[in-house]
Amino acid sequence: MISDSITNASATSAPRDSGKKKRNNKSAKMKQNKLGLRREQWLSQVAVSNKEGKEEKSVNRSEKSDQRDNQPVVCREEGNNGGNNLHHESFMESPSNSSVGGTDSSTNFSGRSSRSSSSSSGFCSGNVTEEENVDDDDDDDGCVDDWEAVADALAAEEEIEKESRLHESVKEQESVGQSASNVCDSISDASDVVCVKDPEQDCLRVASRKQESNRAWRPDDDLRPQGLPNLAKQLSFPELDKRFSSVAIPSSCPICYEDLDLTDSNFLPCPCGFRLCLFCHKTICDGDGRCPGCRKPYERNAIKAETSIQGGGLTIRLARSSSMFCKF
Amino acid sequence: MMTPGGSGRLRPLPTAMYAGYSGTASSWVAKTSVSASGKRIQREMAELNVDPPPDCSAGPKGDNLYHWIATIIGPSGTPYEGGIFFLDIIFPSDYPFKPPKLVFKTRIYHCNVDTAGDLSVDILRDSWSPALTITKVLQAIRSIFLKPEPYSPALPVIARLYLTDRDKHDEVAKEWTLRFAK
Repeated sequence: MISDSITNASATSAPRDSGKKKRNNKSAKMKQNKLGLRREQWLSQVAVSNKEGKEEKSVNRSEKSDQRDNQPVVCREEGNNGGNNLHHESFMESPSNSSVGGTDSSTNFSGRSSRSSSSSSGFCSGNVTEEENVDDDDDDDGCVDDWEAVADALAAEEEIEKESRLHESVKEQESVGQSASNVCDSISDASDVVCVKDPEQDCLRVASRKQESNRAWRPDDDLRPQGLPNLAKQLSFPELDKRFSSVAIPSSCPICYEDLDLTDSNFLPCPCGFRLCLFCHKTICDGDGRCPGCRKPYERNAIKAETSIQGGGLTIRLARSSSMFCKF
Repeated sequence: MMTPGGSGRLRPLPTAMYAGYSGTASSWVAKTSVSASGKRIQREMAELNVDPPPDCSAGPKGDNLYHWIATIIGPSGTPYEGGIFFLDIIFPSDYPFKPPKLVFKTRIYHCNVDTAGDLSVDILRDSWSPALTITKVLQAIRSIFLKPEPYSPALPVIARLYLTDRDKHDEVAKEWTLRFAK
């Protein structure tokens, strides 16, 4: 599903000129993923001008260094769980992506999810296998350590600088002379990596979201967390169900393990709160008549009230059940 | 095994009286396992298999759901350490409204177990509650291994020795464990 949309977008966006790309970028900024996009842009930019950028960034970075340090640590730990092999694989792909696809990402924002994953995976592998590939590390580490700070800095910085960056990246893309099919391959590879490394990616993404804006999730949002309640579904609940769900009632009788029906669920014979079905209650009352939960004898008047209810009509029973609920 | 008449709201209450361990014919057991006590015992068996209490195991002896056999391993740090103690569990037909009957089949020197193997544990007599399960009963028996209750003894002689000369009591209990439970 992801790879389909990516291939479409990449196929269509490849021949576009730079002006259209800028417009694309602006619409992307309107959407919620502008942080990821900026990170991509910056990634591509740093790949080109690594040294000159670092000087100004280090100034911007100094304040936020604490926040940034927290996140990569989490990511690194998860990465360790995920295993080094995975990161090695993704790292094998990431050089081709970061040099070729990284520049491409500034133009093609529907591919950014896979992009960010490839960059983040590259970042993780860079940290995990820091000693092994030192020379590659410089690029990757520099990139991703800074991306949040740069996102902030970019928000403050002038548009001009960014546009010049875009220009550069576009030129670089052309100079690389990649074909659309190449992009597709690399993206689909990257999207495979995304599928495997999803929780990590989600964590990153959610974090960036929270930082970015306070805008609410749209119901049709792809990146919307699964844990968020569905408002429409909740409204469809009848009031009765909501009332029942608020009280913890066992689904089955703890004595006989038969399911509790509505009458049983409303039946609260003892102030200790121990619930049981009417059958078991009657059996106990025929015997010693003590509550199984607290071993105190059941109150006789409560039992009499119960029998009168069984003889009575529906309205009486409802009144009784609601009064029993009021005890909570 | 399960017949539709046995479960659900329409089940007649008094059938439990005819159900259960009679020791006569196995066909009886198959029929009665659908009763309230049968469902309860089956559920307890499943729970015991999933989450057994420490040092304990229990299960039906044969195809009779109402007759189980249990083992308790003597906890370390007690004179019963290393011993394996077998118990018979017999569920009454109106279980869980009446307590199960537990009998030690392995001889044990313990003030709460008499010479016939019957236990003087309050939850198996007056303090029984239908909310208790066989898992909790086994845990209770294991706890009297760790800490006997000499003030409600089954054998007052042993209880007196336990209270007056604890070392002697432990020595004898250890000897019995070595002789009968290993």
